[in-house]
Amino acid sequence: MTSAYIPIDSRRSPLGGHASATERAGRSLPFADERHLLAHQWVVDEAYLLDQQDYESWLDLLTEDIHYYMPIKVTTALGAGFDTAPGMAHFDENKYSLSRRVARFATEHAWTEDPPSRLRHFVTNIRTFATDDADELVVDSAVLLFRSRGDVREHALISAGREDLLRRTDDGWLLARRHIAIDESVIRMQNLAIFL
Amino acid sequence: MSELELTLDDVRRGMIPAHIYNDREIFELEKERLFGRSWQFVAHESEVPQSGDYVVRRVLEDSFIISRDDQGEVRAMFNMCLHRGMQVCRAEMGNATHFRCPYHGWSYRNDGRLVGLPFHREAYGGEAGFSRKGQTLLPSPSLGTYNGMIFISLDPEAPPLDEFLGDFAFYLDYYTKQSPSGIELRGPQRWRIKANWKIGAENFAGDMYHTPQTHMSVVEIGLFREPKAERRKDGSTYWAGKGGGTTYKLPEGTFEERLRYVGYPDAMIDRMRATWSADQCAVVGDSGFMISAASLFPNLSFVHNWPRVEDSDDVLPFISIRSWQPISENETEVVSWFAVDKEAPEDFKAKSYKAYLMCFGSTGMFEQDDVENWVSLTSTAAGSMARRLRLNSRMGMLADGSAVVEPLSGDEFAGPGVAHVGYGEYNQRHLLDEWANHLERPVTKSAGVEFGATKVEVGS
Repeated sequence: MTSAYIPIDSRRSPLGGHASATERAGRSLPFADERHLLAHQWVVDEAYLLDQQDYESWLDLLTEDIHYYMPIKVTTALGAGFDTAPGMAHFDENKYSLSRRVARFATEHAWTEDPPSRLRHFVTNIRTFATDDADELVVDSAVLLFRSRGDVREHALISAGREDLLRRTDDGWLLARRHIAIDESVIRMQNLAIFL
Repeated sequence: MSELELTLDDVRRGMIPAHIYNDREIFELEKERLFGRSWQFVAHESEVPQSGDYVVRRVLEDSFIISRDDQGEVRAMFNMCLHRGMQVCRAEMGNATHFRCPYHGWSYRNDGRLVGLPFHREAYGGEAGFSRKGQTLLPSPSLGTYNGMIFISLDPEAPPLDEFLGDFAFYLDYYTKQSPSGIELRGPQRWRIKANWKIGAENFAGDMYHTPQTHMSVVEIGLFREPKAERRKDGSTYWAGKGGGTTYKLPEGTFEERLRYVGYPDAMIDRMRATWSADQCAVVGDSGFMISAASLFPNLSFVHNWPRVEDSDDVLPFISIRSWQPISENETEVVSWFAVDKEAPEDFKAKSYKAYLMCFGSTGMFEQDDVENWVSLTSTAAGSMARRLRLNSRMGMLADGSAVVEPLSGDEFAGPGVAHVGYGEYNQRHLLDEWANHLERPVTKSAGVEFGATKVEVGS
């Protein structure tokens, strides 16, 4: 059986050396499993924070060693063995660079989000996997972001799959790694002054 | 005078009819008279390092395969099967010895030669009916390279690339030849913005005036060290050959000290010293200017900047190359690469890449605010009021056309072309003058291309 699916790997990023290498173990957890229920609630609560652009609260949900990574999708022949542009990404972030992005939105001069976009993150297809570490879970989800700006422009959409690594800490469950598989090779949105 | 002549006249006076940023008829003319014959950057040789490597790039609606053949030569071939016009390559990048058309199975070597034609004998009567020998995918009418940058032109009569670049090549070296090995490109990021393609090209060519306002936020968060971005007015703009750009004025110091100031490590500075001409070094070391953004006519831009990428006082320089690919009169595909010197230390490459991502490209914090402005401008330019309004693009000129500040002398600015200190729209005017020169000149129809058929003398 061949598959068109090629997983994203932090180690293929020049900036991903610090990222956790924890992988999923086994099949997805039953939907009634408590770990799945908590992960499901975590990603839904996070989606509301992102819709509301409450980025300071969102930043508190990220671990210090987070790797927030969205490689560039490229169209390649089936069997080419890769479907992202080597050594390049849209987002390839650590906590510091994410904190600068959030700080910028908090200034009065981030024109691209003033007036703010109307955002809706539709998050679905959530499944959770245990890992070899009882304090870490891998969570898959699909996200469709609707973004509307002003009154004359058409809205823009981004569709992506996400693979998250959630980690239990003294501050609760935090996001330690996010791999974003964007579904377009050419993004149809004026910029990515948003988070997925 | 025709309406077009009046429009071009206004543009040449530095009074821009606002509708040129969103006008279907103007765009049709641009396609034919400008993009039909200008040099277009499509790829860098570092993107196809091995035999068989290819990338597929567009020039407006035309798709080209840029491949390195088995002899190591780089080719640009029109991505259309000679038989029924199907794309022979539907991936964006990869490695292949052949491209086989999925429709009827015609296949081509990675140098473009037609090598496979199913049922050649049965269907065509062999060579007698269809001469397969010597047939290739249509090569790009013109192809040229400079520092590994691959340019193509749809015009077979295009002037040689070197001649076209002229003195802009002097400045191109700062971005693309910091060592004998030159640059490597990564990416590109591609995204579509509802903005006319000219706006970005003009902005990168010479708009130092927007930096303190548009990019106030990146200074406030400490991403950009130059205080309040006000330093821009101490910088200079230059125009040379078919391009121009902006610079920052550097603090006092030697060539080495000034390059250290923007974050280059000593090993890279030594290579720049050895690679650049005396005049190229003098722009930095004696004149004290560091290149920033630039545009090469019509739609290729460059940026060099040096932000903070960590919680420290250190800055890290990065380079981006981008093409503003027109989709329509009100939509542009931005094709943006990160570029870095091949000989740079790996640690520098990683941090420079980080600097690029934080500042420019699809997620860049500078670029986000630029695009917001350009989208707004474009949508406003569609209406009938925009047909009345002439945008004043005369900064740097008094009413009688004389200069607000005199050009820098050779002692003050060691580079070729004409340079001025401070804010001015000299380069935007140069760019649009070139644009007007192209738009007023009709094209001669290209001859059709036939292949395979042997001419039959009728009646013989």
